[in-house]
Amino acid sequence: MTDVMLAVRNVSKAFGAHQVVDNLSFTLNRADRLAIFAPSGAGKTTLLRLVAGLEQPDSGDITLQARSVITIFQEPRLFPFLTVEENIFLPFKAQGRAISPSDRQNASRWLEVSELLPFIHHYPCQLSGGMKQKAALIRGLLGHPDLVLLDEPFQSIGVESRQSLIRFMLDFTPGQTLLLVTHSGEEIQQLAQKVLVFQQPCLTRPRECFVENFSESGWPARQHEIMINNSDASPVSPVSAPHGLTY
Amino acid sequence: MKRSKAFITPLINEAAGFTLIMLIWGAASLFYPPYIIPSPWDVLGSVKTFLPQDFMLHLNITLYRIFAGFTISLLLGTILGVLAHLKGWSAPMNSLMLALQVLPGMVLGVIFLLMFGLGSATPILLIATLTLPTLALNTMNGLAKTDKALQELLVTLHARRSVTFTHIILPALIPVLQSNFSLGIGLAAKVVVMGEFIGAQDGLGYLLNAARITFDMKEVFFYLIVLLLFTLLLQALQSLFSSLFLKKYFYPE
Repeated sequence: MTDVMLAVRNVSKAFGAHQVVDNLSFTLNRADRLAIFAPSGAGKTTLLRLVAGLEQPDSGDITLQARSVITIFQEPRLFPFLTVEENIFLPFKAQGRAISPSDRQNASRWLEVSELLPFIHHYPCQLSGGMKQKAALIRGLLGHPDLVLLDEPFQSIGVESRQSLIRFMLDFTPGQTLLLVTHSGEEIQQLAQKVLVFQQPCLTRPRECFVENFSESGWPARQHEIMINNSDASPVSPVSAPHGLTY
Repeated sequence: MKRSKAFITPLINEAAGFTLIMLIWGAASLFYPPYIIPSPWDVLGSVKTFLPQDFMLHLNITLYRIFAGFTISLLLGTILGVLAHLKGWSAPMNSLMLALQVLPGMVLGVIFLLMFGLGSATPILLIATLTLPTLALNTMNGLAKTDKALQELLVTLHARRSVTFTHIILPALIPVLQSNFSLGIGLAAKVVVMGEFIGAQDGLGYLLNAARITFDMKEVFFYLIVLLLFTLLLQALQSLFSSLFLKKYFYPE
């Protein structure tokens, strides 16, 4: 199988007059952990939805080589009438796959790390927002999918818990191919290997950036360290965001 | 919930509803003469004088007609509502059901009588036709509230159709079926009386009609209370079934 898991070629998407993605191209190789860093409302979520097949591009094409792709949304999207255990094993049930003893063992380890083990038979309405998001994360990663699309998944999880989950995630799924959209420099530092930075309030002409160049606040630390792969684009300012943009 | 509590709670709720109606009836009877509104105790005291020997036969026939008509409309209404939702026929189905809803029951009853003659067909068809629009519209509107975010999640998981049905359609359908049952059974009990007025020579509607003609209001009120009790009992059974088997689908938001 080829090493390219995802190829996005000249993809554009608009909602009415609002251009959200404009002629965007990038590739994601096996075991890559790529973060998309862009202003609020720039279309990061739309990009993930396009890759997940929930939206169709107006032009361009998206090629997925991954056999199994899991999307972990901003909201937990747990089934309210299923327990935590039933929710985390849902992908197996949905695809008619058997749950092996090792899957159950992995689930227990995940639940332990995320401190959800005592809540395994609880329903989502009995959990806090952070606990729900952890359950959604476990559900996404448990089956070792080829590609994981993460849409700001740690937003509602507390700092300590977030760090232990990220650490566990990287230990548990080494070589996991990830496409992450986030606002958090901390998440980029911990999770991503490279970053595509978008300056415009629309996803177009990205600059590739090393993770080390990201400060925890989320902005590249030093301007000259930004790897620009787009010669006609102006460099991203490390000091202040371009006018009108909120990162 | 403990099983005993699950059994007692719906019964208590329905008994409370029944008691309230009896109290209102009792209070109203204080302001009107017995030939207009007889008191509950007057009706109870004189049951023996008007109750026909074959009362149980009439009762059974009426219950059979309610069940038959209601089952047809529940099945048909649910199927039409689900189809309209899945196939995107909501707008035309809405218009069709609204058109059916304005058809006067008396006219339909006479048409069915002319088509099928005296017997069970007229009341059964009348119940099925007059309750169908309410149940189909309720099903359609209930299913319109399926959780789109969860539907998307299943799309990304490439879920099998059966999983989409059990995790998206069925959970949206269960509260709809519950409200269909509550709405429909009350409506069916009302319509069966009209159907038996028009097209039958037996059943509670027929007895009620005979009592109405002779202005025997004690008898009229007695048959109304029998129908009410039957409806409340079915409602209690349905609540019991929901609390025992479907509780997980009724979760706090």
